[in-house]
Amino acid sequence: MTEDDALAAKGAPSEKGQARKPLIKLDKLSKHYGNHTVLDGIDLEVMPGEVLAIIGPSGSGKSTLLRCINYLEPPDGGHVTIGDISLNAAAPAGRSELSTLRRSVGMVFQSFNLFPHMTVLRNVSLAQERVLGRSRKNADERSMQLLSRVGLADKAEQFPGRCSGGQQQRIAIARALALDPDVMLFDEPTSALDPELGLEVLAVMRELAETGMTMIVVTHEMSFAENVSDTVMIMADGKIIEKGPSADVMRNPQQERTKRFLRAVHDR
Amino acid sequence: MLPSLEELSAWLPDLLSGLSISLQVTALSLLIGIPFGLLLALGVLAKSRLTKIVALFLVEVGRGAPALVLLQFIYFGLPTTGLTLGSFTAAVIALAWNTGAYTSEIIRASLQSIPHGQREAAVAIGLNRLDALRYVLLPQGLRVALPALLAFSILIFQGTSLCFTIALPELVSRAYEIGSNTFRYFPALLAAGVLYASISIPAALLVSHVEKRAGSYAQR
Repeated sequence: MTEDDALAAKGAPSEKGQARKPLIKLDKLSKHYGNHTVLDGIDLEVMPGEVLAIIGPSGSGKSTLLRCINYLEPPDGGHVTIGDISLNAAAPAGRSELSTLRRSVGMVFQSFNLFPHMTVLRNVSLAQERVLGRSRKNADERSMQLLSRVGLADKAEQFPGRCSGGQQQRIAIARALALDPDVMLFDEPTSALDPELGLEVLAVMRELAETGMTMIVVTHEMSFAENVSDTVMIMADGKIIEKGPSADVMRNPQQERTKRFLRAVHDR
Repeated sequence: MLPSLEELSAWLPDLLSGLSISLQVTALSLLIGIPFGLLLALGVLAKSRLTKIVALFLVEVGRGAPALVLLQFIYFGLPTTGLTLGSFTAAVIALAWNTGAYTSEIIRASLQSIPHGQREAAVAIGLNRLDALRYVLLPQGLRVALPALLAFSILIFQGTSLCFTIALPELVSRAYEIGSNTFRYFPALLAAGVLYASISIPAALLVSHVEKRAGSYAQR
């Protein structure tokens, strides 16, 4: 079964009859810290509506890869293409390009990073007003929709500090969705949460996946990788070790490195 | 030793007008100095080398030179270059510089104390640098800085007493004047000291109150 077939089987939106173009394309993306190579020429394509889970040992470059996609950390070689925007890592990126890039990419962090001095509502509305130029009223209306969607409309006037970790992460998801991004990046979204709170975040992410949102999720949640994502990619030492439809990779890995990693995870 | 009631009522108008000048110099120095300190802090943190060097120079001179030397330099030193300032203006410039230099370090440290993830989140939701600073970093940084800024404000208020050396008729010079007219130096300075304390001590109480509240966001 090819990746596309897997997508189609899951009911991901696909335009039949015409060749589908990847939403995200990375060409030979690399990143170094001094002499240390963090990303070693990553080639990757993500189709619209695809949910890609990235798993792998710590220090394998998973998070860095995610952060290079929205230029939170500028890559130092290769190309990043998202929709119509294409950035060449060798040349310094212009401000307007970066702003367009970040507008089309939502990001959710391990440690939520909500703004503690603003109400939950302001957290979600701020970028709509400042980046999209929406009026306060329109922004707040949209924010309330998004907060309802993650089940937290009643927290709108609270400060983030009053919310549980799971609630904070759901608010962070609403905040990232507020710019109507084409793709959502999740950097270990449940790693800072206890298992129970992690579940409520995973439920929101699963719903989001079902609406056809393109998602790249760096995670240690193997059940999410296996059951929610369409594609799983294993990274180690800044390289892609193996990538394929989630069921194949998780149940029948081909590479020795993947087998070793999955065994270690299951033995815990 | 203590001033009599008659003496006090005779001196009080002079002393209060001196206090008023001290407070005016304090207020203006802070009003100019703290925004200046913010600019200097941003300058020191700037990527541009030139900006950084200019900001560092202003900070290091402002902190390195005693306030008394800055005062004397601006009041007595600048006229040799053709720029003559009144003692009030000279006092405000010197103390505003001093304030800017010290508060820039307070503000810089406060901005740097904000978790890195806050800036990243601001960038990730597409805010430009100015908006990230304005809506995310400064409100949090200034909240951290507030107690230290208020404490420094008390020091500047007390520092205005140095202005008697440039003939500014503030509180200490009024007390001196009374002393030299009546040879009652000690009681006059004592009265001035009580006036300083009547401002400084409540202000210090305010600082510790603010300190207790700062840092907790979920108050409302």
